[in-house]
Amino acid sequence: MSEIVLRADGLAKTFRLGFLRKRVEAVKEATFEVRRGEIFGYLGPNGSGKTTTLKMLMGLVFPTRGRAEVLGRPVPDRAAKRRLGYLPESPYFYEYLAPEEFLDLVGALCDVPRRVRRERAAQLIVRVGLEHARGRPLRKFSKGMLQRIGIAQALMGEPELVVLDEPMTGLDPLGRKEIRDLMLELKREGRTVVYSTHILPDVEMTCDRVAMIFAGRIRSVGPLAELLTARLLSTEVCLRSGVSELPDPPEGGTARQSPDGMLYDLPERADVDAFLKAALAKGASIISVTPRRESLEDLFVRQASEQGAA
Amino acid sequence: MNRVGAIAWNTFREAVRNKILYSLLFFAVLIILSALAIGNLTLHEEVRTIRDLGLFGIDLFGVIIAIFVGVNLLYKELDLKTVYTILPKPLWRWEFVLGKWLGMLLTLAVQMAVMGVVLALVLAAEGASFDVPTAKAVWLLFVNVMMVTSIAVFFSAFSSPFLSGFFALGCFVVGRSVPDIRALGEKLGENARAVLDLLCDVIPNMHLFYPSGAIVGAERVSVHREFVGADYILSASGYGVAYSLVVLVLAMLIFRKRDFV
Repeated sequence: MSEIVLRADGLAKTFRLGFLRKRVEAVKEATFEVRRGEIFGYLGPNGSGKTTTLKMLMGLVFPTRGRAEVLGRPVPDRAAKRRLGYLPESPYFYEYLAPEEFLDLVGALCDVPRRVRRERAAQLIVRVGLEHARGRPLRKFSKGMLQRIGIAQALMGEPELVVLDEPMTGLDPLGRKEIRDLMLELKREGRTVVYSTHILPDVEMTCDRVAMIFAGRIRSVGPLAELLTARLLSTEVCLRSGVSELPDPPEGGTARQSPDGMLYDLPERADVDAFLKAALAKGASIISVTPRRESLEDLFVRQASEQGAA
Repeated sequence: MNRVGAIAWNTFREAVRNKILYSLLFFAVLIILSALAIGNLTLHEEVRTIRDLGLFGIDLFGVIIAIFVGVNLLYKELDLKTVYTILPKPLWRWEFVLGKWLGMLLTLAVQMAVMGVVLALVLAAEGASFDVPTAKAVWLLFVNVMMVTSIAVFFSAFSSPFLSGFFALGCFVVGRSVPDIRALGEKLGENARAVLDLLCDVIPNMHLFYPSGAIVGAERVSVHREFVGADYILSASGYGVAYSLVVLVLAMLIFRKRDFV
């Protein structure tokens, strides 16, 4: 089994807000592990507790209960932080600094020697595509540019583990693709990437494993492939008519005309073999048979509604 | 210390690029320059007026800048969320607070040096010099400003800039009035004296840093004649540094336990 680089064990956080110190349970129970070398997605709708969990793992918020470990050390630990890069949600940086000045500051905080950090800052500026913005104060950066310099600062200490909180938020499709490609590149370099998001197509394209959190409680953790292939929702069958009429859909199924022929949506419990035999007997041609398994979006929506019902 | 130095240098750089501080410095310089005109209205008291008004300007604007920047020092990091990027770096929280404070001190030192140079130029224009007593007075004002900064940082570790500014200004005003408060206690009787003495022991005695015109030992000292000696400067500086460090450590302890939501 791969080495565990990040562990949340029963993490919970209750805030006391307002004059009456009203209790707000931001995270009720978060337990998951991240293994070395994988891309791990932390999924959940807005306000589900993703950012609070990551802040507890980064030592910005103290948990009410539970334990957090980063790179084998309890949080917060300076030695572990040296091997960690973090991009906060909607990052704000010192707006009066130019990107090279900002990266130099971050490098100094990560104990990178002066000469090395100048070279590294220059390389990272190129890597995140900001070479045209050298010398320009960060206050003049667009949202996408800020996200890129945010990722550059997270990589300034050459971290083994990179934690990105909502790195795709506010980016256009091209910017999102660049960030996805960068995460895959980091994985190829042997780094571990953890990121939180609610943009599901990005997760399907990048993540090895995911955890889903709803209303402060983790609902599922596991490899994306296992979570998604477990459940068959329906089977889509496309038929073209022969000499006689096409069969009716079985009970619970639907049929509609499509450019390729008649498209049937057969429910999970339907006997697909029997339906296909009946269709062939009527002289129909089978154009396609597609099992429709639960997508990440289906799983996400199902778990969200189950959580709502609970 | 490299990390503390990096935070301190960045704090200084932020102040240098802040236009509001330039405006405050401009008004401070204006007050010192106005001493030249006001001094010329007096009869044979030009140098005395320039020196008094100049030191008043340095004192007033030093404290205003210390409170203005000091209360925003930590608050701005939280409000602008820059702290979320900085604290997950391999940095202790106390290093962050210390770095911010040192950067602030560097900023104030440069600002007071600029004001001191302007005062020296104005004195030179009247044929007088920026003598040792004046230098001692400016040094004491700097130590005072250091204390005000520490107090402002302390309050800003747990309250809003408005409240922090209010409390820091209150400490400054009450701290400058320590001899008057003690004298009041003498008049009010035993119990009131005990309470006021306790208050004077806790609040920073900032009167120590503006001694011109006060009685030190048995002598009345004046920046224009016999000013305080090196022993006074040393003990007042020691008190100021010690008080500042205690308050700063308290700020660090509060900051260490904070959730950054």
